Amino acid sequence: MAKPKIAIFDFACCEGCQLQIVNLEEEILSLLGVADVVEWREAMSEKSDEYDIAIIEGSITRMEDEERLKRIRGCAKVLIALGACAMTGGVNKLKNNFEDFEEVKKCVYGKAAGKPHLRTAVTKAVGEVVQVDYAVPGCPIDGKEFTYIVRSLLMGKKPEIPDYPVCVECKANGNPCLWQYDQVCLGPIIRAGCGARCPSNGFRCFGCRGYVDNPNVDAAKDVINRFGLNLDDLKTKMVLFGSKQEPTIYE
Amino acid sequence: MSVKEIAKNDFTRFVGTLIRTEKVFGVQAKGDRFDFAPLESAQDLRLDYDVTLQPPKKYFLPPAEVLLTYQVGGPYQSQLDGQEFILLGVHPYDMVAINQMDELFQQDNYDTHYMTRRHNATIIACDVAKPSDHVFASSMGTAVVKKGYDILLTDIGDSFVAEAATPKGEQLLAKAKGAAADAQALKKREDIWARNKKSLNKHELKCDPAYLPKVLAKAYKHPVWEEKAKTCFSCGSCNQVCPTCYCFNVQDDVNWDLKTGQRLREWDGCLLDGFTKVAPAHEFRKARADRFRHRLYRKATYVPQKLGGQIACVGCGRCVGACLPDIANPVNIYNRLIDDLGIG
Repeated sequence: MAKPKIAIFDFACCEGCQLQIVNLEEEILSLLGVADVVEWREAMSEKSDEYDIAIIEGSITRMEDEERLKRIRGCAKVLIALGACAMTGGVNKLKNNFEDFEEVKKCVYGKAAGKPHLRTAVTKAVGEVVQVDYAVPGCPIDGKEFTYIVRSLLMGKKPEIPDYPVCVECKANGNPCLWQYDQVCLGPIIRAGCGARCPSNGFRCFGCRGYVDNPNVDAAKDVINRFGLNLDDLKTKMVLFGSKQEPTIYE
Repeated sequence: MSVKEIAKNDFTRFVGTLIRTEKVFGVQAKGDRFDFAPLESAQDLRLDYDVTLQPPKKYFLPPAEVLLTYQVGGPYQSQLDGQEFILLGVHPYDMVAINQMDELFQQDNYDTHYMTRRHNATIIACDVAKPSDHVFASSMGTAVVKKGYDILLTDIGDSFVAEAATPKGEQLLAKAKGAAADAQALKKREDIWARNKKSLNKHELKCDPAYLPKVLAKAYKHPVWEEKAKTCFSCGSCNQVCPTCYCFNVQDDVNWDLKTGQRLREWDGCLLDGFTKVAPAHEFRKARADRFRHRLYRKATYVPQKLGGQIACVGCGRCVGACLPDIANPVNIYNRLIDDLGIG
């Protein structure tokens, strides 16, 4: 059987998730043993329109990007959204909190705001433009989780991505709860799979992996009250990776 | 078996000796809390702790472990952890939990992985010197323990009373300097046991725990499950810190050759979304409230059925402290049911 062909494409992002793949170093050779990578701008110069698996990094922020993404989807049998920007829109969706994008551009780019390459539209996750078959959460992705997903697909198996909150892994690591140390940690509503890396190192969960499928917003409100905080304390933490996504907390 | 009185200085020397010759896991400070961890210095041991963040079950049932390695369509090889170790500072309620797990992991399908670690362990238990904020071991009858350990330590002030309970413990205790405990020392220990039987009770269960299965027999449709589950994150923190929760998930991970791989076992939790997901993507306990109820039934009905009536909550109080919305406390829930339904 011929080796499946993989192509990796980037859209609006910092390319840090691709960098996580590059950082796999010798493990990339193992990947190349079982699959042919036919296009990957960050790591090689070849290009191809023939691939089985398309890996998409970044969110979609311009009309022309939507067209490009649809073309890729048309070529690929399987499409994987790589990282927070692709999976949920990620930090790029912060922009969607504003109505006047011309104002936003002026604020960010100053005098250059009018240049044609800075045209911008409402940020979309990859799944808001084309069908996504699998997603690798995180900002950046976890290299181990990425390789697990790829191996599962090569075996014809559905990869199991946790649908439980970060607290599970945080407690398994033996951490005390950061809420008891005055941190507004998003762990209870954010998808695990990162090994609770941030809270295990003393930093609250920022929510980069996106919400679990069924987050309990009532519980979040209750906890906010119990800790003598107000809803804004929570919302300002949720805005970074959770802008314009469910669950939206209204007053 | 011997009962020795060991002066605190001599005890520290004894622990130092153990560390030099054996793998020792002992209770140590972790920030302003406590936890079991590899013990590198006798000075780090903190037998005055209130409660550890994690129960000691992780040394028998680790959060994640490789059960076996396999070849696709071919033979497999069990992976067993062979290292002997000493677990130092297990509180009575945690010892009771280990005793229950020992029974459960030998029932039905004998669990070689758990039991291998268990046989490799020498457990030095110790009576509680300082009650934690949420302990209710007195209510659950687990404030003192009489079996399971190899040595039991009791801090009686300037010295420890150390009682060997097994040949393994006897052998170990022989290395400690100390005379046979006299009547005065034993009296002090009796007093501490009597005190702990009453004082490890920050939450008080309104009935003898033996009645709990009867209470639950009438409680399946009680409104408390819905009420509490309204603010449940389904984060499984209560499961993860529980010394008697032992549910696990098993998954395979194939290597890059796509021919060999590992079968992994990880902790699971009945509160988690997807806990009851089975092929073909059917989930038979989908509602949050149903999962919330299941945990309380498991502690006081389902597991007791497998353990001759023993209640599978040992009153460590860890779930109470770990639950952000403060809905996990089993005593609050059981007392509410007792109030509403009686114990008859």
